[in-house]
Amino acid sequence: MADPYNPGPYDPGPYNAVPTGSLYANWGQRVLSYLIDIGPIIVLEAVFVRILPIYVIVLLASIAWTAYNRWYKAGTTGQSLGKKVLNLRLVSEETGQPIGTLMAFVRDICHIADAIICFVGYLFPLWDAKRQTLADKIVRTVVIPA
Amino acid sequence: MPEHITMAGLGAGLIGSAYPMIVAHTGFQGLPCPLRTLTGVPCPFCGLTTATVALSHGQWATAAATSPLAYLVAGLVAVTTPVLAARTAGLARPPRPWSEAARQRTRYVASVVVALSWVFQLHRYGFL
Repeated sequence: MADPYNPGPYDPGPYNAVPTGSLYANWGQRVLSYLIDIGPIIVLEAVFVRILPIYVIVLLASIAWTAYNRWYKAGTTGQSLGKKVLNLRLVSEETGQPIGTLMAFVRDICHIADAIICFVGYLFPLWDAKRQTLADKIVRTVVIPA
Repeated sequence: MPEHITMAGLGAGLIGSAYPMIVAHTGFQGLPCPLRTLTGVPCPFCGLTTATVALSHGQWATAAATSPLAYLVAGLVAVTTPVLAARTAGLARPPRPWSEAARQRTRYVASVVVALSWVFQLHRYGFL
């Protein structure tokens, strides 16, 4: 008997059954979500970059916030603050479930692959069928509407 | 999918046309290529900012010498903008999802184009 509490792997259905992009968060939504997550951090660091003691505190607070928001919350619930505001979820491409704190951290590390080629990896969701960045492809994740 | 590239290309063109003014007023020089900063080796997309600025100011030779890829993006934007406008006005059918075969072909062509662009950049920076 099918388990009603386990939806199983994320199955987008047969190819061309629905417009491809509608199953996944679009690039604009993902950019906005990312800006909500890291925008305030960048602004604070830019403001205090010349005042060393405060900058160190801001830097440590930024790391703590990122660890909580982008790794713990996004990893365990699928939603960082930005994704919650935009009503998106980060899930495993294979299971459809949140990927866990460690993999959320690994995914952010993998964003190096997006940045290293003149940041073009961040544009991949504009044309990719599953709207994945290179980091998403490496850790096999997708961002979907919640 | 072409719509998104059109919008991104149009955005890049608009920013490119205003770029010298932005630089003059803010001193912001843009984001450097991380690969070239770390290793000295250019990536396939190096020079796109400079080429886009050159194209938007009619400096065709500079654009071609910096990144021919910019010409391809500009061509794509020029071709797809009327389609996008027609769809927005309801004069053309909405886009249909591409077949897997079409996506496969596009991936292949894009890979070749990116590889050629990398060869060009490696040559431009004296690696080839």
